[in-house]
Amino acid sequence: MSQKNIAVDVDKVVKRYGSVTALHGVSLDIREGEFFTLLGPSGCGKTTLLRCIAGFEDVSDGRVRLMGQDITPLPAHKRPVNTVFQQYALFPHMTVLENVSFGLSRRGWTARDAEGRAKQMLKLVQLSDFAKRKPGQLSGGQQQRVALARALAPEPQVLLLDEPLSALDLKLRQAVRVELKQIQRETGIAFVFVTHDQEEALTMSDRIAVMSAGHVQQIGTPREIYEAPVNRFVADFIGETNLLEVAVRQVDGDRATVVLPGGHVVEVPAASGAKVGTGHLSVRPERMSTAPGGGDLTVLVEDHVYLGTDIQLHARLDDGAPLVVRIQNGAAATIPAPGTRLALDVEAGAARLLAD
Amino acid sequence: MAGVAPGGSGSGSDIYRGNGPRLMLPVWVFIGIFLLLPVILMAVYSFLTKEFRGGVIWDFTLAAYDQFFLNRGLFGDEPATIEWTYIGIFWRSIWQAGLATVFCLLIGFPTAWYVATRPASTRSVWLFLITIPYWVNLLIRTVSMKFLLRDTGPLNEFLMWTGLISDPLSLINTNFAVQVGLFYSYLPFMVLPIYAAVERYDFSLSEAAADLYCNNWTTLRLVILPAVKPGIVAGCILVFVPSLGAFLAPDLLGGAKTFMIGSLIEEQFKGAAGNWPFGAAAAMILLTLVMVVLLIHARVQVREDR
Amino acid sequence: MKTFLTTTALAMTLATAAAAEGELKIYHWFEYIPQELLDKFAAEYDVTVTMDTYDSNEALLAALKAGKLGEYDVAVPGDYMVKIMADEGMLDTFTPDELPNFGNIQDQWVDVEFDNGRHSTIPYQWGSTSFSVNTEMYDGPMDSLSLIFDAPDELKGKINVLDTAGETLTLASLYAGIPQCTSDREQLKALNALVQGAKPDWASFGSDVAKDVLVSGDAAAGMIWSGFSAKARAEGAPVQYVFPKEGMIVWMDNVALLKDAPNRDNALKFMNFLLEPENAAAVTNYAQYTAGVDGVAEFLDPEVANSPEANPPADVKGVFVQSCPEEVQVLYDAIWTNLKK
Repeated sequence: MSQKNIAVDVDKVVKRYGSVTALHGVSLDIREGEFFTLLGPSGCGKTTLLRCIAGFEDVSDGRVRLMGQDITPLPAHKRPVNTVFQQYALFPHMTVLENVSFGLSRRGWTARDAEGRAKQMLKLVQLSDFAKRKPGQLSGGQQQRVALARALAPEPQVLLLDEPLSALDLKLRQAVRVELKQIQRETGIAFVFVTHDQEEALTMSDRIAVMSAGHVQQIGTPREIYEAPVNRFVADFIGETNLLEVAVRQVDGDRATVVLPGGHVVEVPAASGAKVGTGHLSVRPERMSTAPGGGDLTVLVEDHVYLGTDIQLHARLDDGAPLVVRIQNGAAATIPAPGTRLALDVEAGAARLLAD
Repeated sequence: MAGVAPGGSGSGSDIYRGNGPRLMLPVWVFIGIFLLLPVILMAVYSFLTKEFRGGVIWDFTLAAYDQFFLNRGLFGDEPATIEWTYIGIFWRSIWQAGLATVFCLLIGFPTAWYVATRPASTRSVWLFLITIPYWVNLLIRTVSMKFLLRDTGPLNEFLMWTGLISDPLSLINTNFAVQVGLFYSYLPFMVLPIYAAVERYDFSLSEAAADLYCNNWTTLRLVILPAVKPGIVAGCILVFVPSLGAFLAPDLLGGAKTFMIGSLIEEQFKGAAGNWPFGAAAAMILLTLVMVVLLIHARVQVREDR
Repeated sequence: MKTFLTTTALAMTLATAAAAEGELKIYHWFEYIPQELLDKFAAEYDVTVTMDTYDSNEALLAALKAGKLGEYDVAVPGDYMVKIMADEGMLDTFTPDELPNFGNIQDQWVDVEFDNGRHSTIPYQWGSTSFSVNTEMYDGPMDSLSLIFDAPDELKGKINVLDTAGETLTLASLYAGIPQCTSDREQLKALNALVQGAKPDWASFGSDVAKDVLVSGDAAAGMIWSGFSAKARAEGAPVQYVFPKEGMIVWMDNVALLKDAPNRDNALKFMNFLLEPENAAAVTNYAQYTAGVDGVAEFLDPEVANSPEANPPADVKGVFVQSCPEEVQVLYDAIWTNLKK
């Protein structure tokens, strides 16, 4: 892709706090108009990276570029990006309208223009009737939308969102996800969205960067991340998976030949970096099916959990390693009793050899 | 402040409704005896006839207020004009107290800010250090300030030792010294309420302001100050009101050359003038002024919260 | 255990009884009587002595008016205040035979205008009110009140005056040659103009600090009571007490028997005790004024006996501060308020 399409260029950014290093040379590109998510467990450095882009933290090393311009030395108030804060950080002494027009007034808009634009933003987030209220008089969801309107009003080149949904209850969160994605599409502004919730990341993002311990583990579309994880961390963090220890006989580009527990030899897709020797195979529970005539794997069923749409089987391989299998519920579905030996087939191309 | 959702109070108070008046009785008795009664007594005294060399005669008259507001000449036989003497004394006290409040705010705010932004474990130590001098009697503190400021005091000797000045600065018996004394006496009353407000301040608001193109100064002006305003207002009232009636600093550090509200009233009760009704009237006028200021503030506050 | 408690309680009762044998409540000026003398009296007569202090005659009057009468046995008002308090009915009377040492009172202090024949009071100390000058800061002639009211350049801005209308305005009247308690308009206007004109040269108004400002050097000249000046000198201040040619204030403080004294007998014992030459001399040695009692001389410290402050030249004129009638007093009050507005 061409350079002009990159909105944010994070280039080998290092952030140290005393002796603790929060970011170990993180590099990533965020494209114009895309919904980009930084996903990872708490303490992985995702929020630190967001704050480095916003300018709330100085980077220890590396550069941050915005639309090709180096903004590393600029203080937060000179960066044309805006942020939606986790706890919204609405100004309690101002009305909703004053909050939304605040950034515009600071950028030199006339009071009239700023008010007009702020009203437009409130309409976008469906809060036109609340313009004269104080933030303290709004519900959590309403405050969240005011925060969004306030950050969008100055038409930032990039909008940064720091776990904006985490303070909402589950029902509301699911509704706001759809709304947020819709607004992102309407405005065409690049969103950088920080979350620890993989479901949120998968449903909303154009691309996801999975982070752990100050490193980016993998960048890709939700589908790539879910279906083609590069390493054990990503495979394990995103969704549910089984990590099988296997002997790798041969690696040939993105294909590898491995010996499954039980002795079956199969050819599987391999992540780049996979090596001959002992490796790990990721198999999603729903990508296996019972094979009455004998299959890739043989397990001993220990227990089952009835989930409605699915039935989850907890089983063990002969070497004692646990394995979880999900079979779709239906008229024909039978639930194997505990103690049953079961032969399983892995869907072609669904097992994947990881880099580590 | 805003932040409390409407309807948050009131619900669930049924339990207390029946017992409320009875439970509040000790409070009302306390307020009645220690607050209302003295004020009523003073109000009544201000309308009585003065007895020579102190005391009152139970004849009601407006003489005290007449003396305060109307000038009939030294011998009392000239046509009445406005008496500027006491209004002037009041104005000087108000000016002095206002100035002290401003100084306390200018120093107290950064101090409170500094303390409130320390790690929680060291905050209490800072607060303790700030309040230590106030375990000592106000009189002694004021006298020690006098020692510090006098021509032969450590401050002047130090400045002369450094060679910055060759003759001692005349600091004592000046308005400057009074300001120093008031500032020193009442600084913690400014620091503590602001500290409490800053401690509650949500620092992500400052980040939000920076994010919305505010530099440090505009952040302070547009976001921080409005957010900690209740603390600032409380601090200003706590400094201004006692400064208004202060007489130790003006007497000991200012040389008692001019009456302040406090010393004027004191003179009526303790001095040769011995004019109790006039002292009571002056105190009532002061009380009225303070009440008006507080009421205006309360009004503004209510309007803002709405 | 029970026995022990009983014994303790008994002992405490006895102790309390011993302490309650007699009480004496004194209302006195600050820093005006040595503690040893109070202890001596307490021991000699087995009396518990308690003392509160005040800082001006007016404060004494105000306190008694505000309800303290009946709480104290004796107080120590100045001359004019004796008259005021007598007029207010605040003093009890005694007969000379109730005080065995009555005869020790010097003749000249028996028939005084404020208590003729001494029926309610006995002399405590007498002295003068004038002013002192720091001789290191000023070396010109020192014989006139003009140093205060028309200050030479060296003293300008370095003068402390007493913060009581009575003393400061009386000294001003002496300087201006105006009689006390005048109701003459021109004289009062002249007095007003005099103090108004002098005030810019004054650094401070203060009574209880009158000595300290001279010792510390804050003031180069200051109105002061004679004994206070002697004390300042004793504390190392290079000050000279001035006997102005225009005259000075003479005053006498007196131990007064208060009306409704809760311990009248002990009050009389105390007054008699103070008329003992040795005890009167102890007060003089402490306060550095002059006792009004015969036979004191042999008990005085030499430096006190010979102090320049206590031995004015024969030709200096001394006047008592008069208590003015109400209609005149308001005029003086107005001048004072006007001065400090």
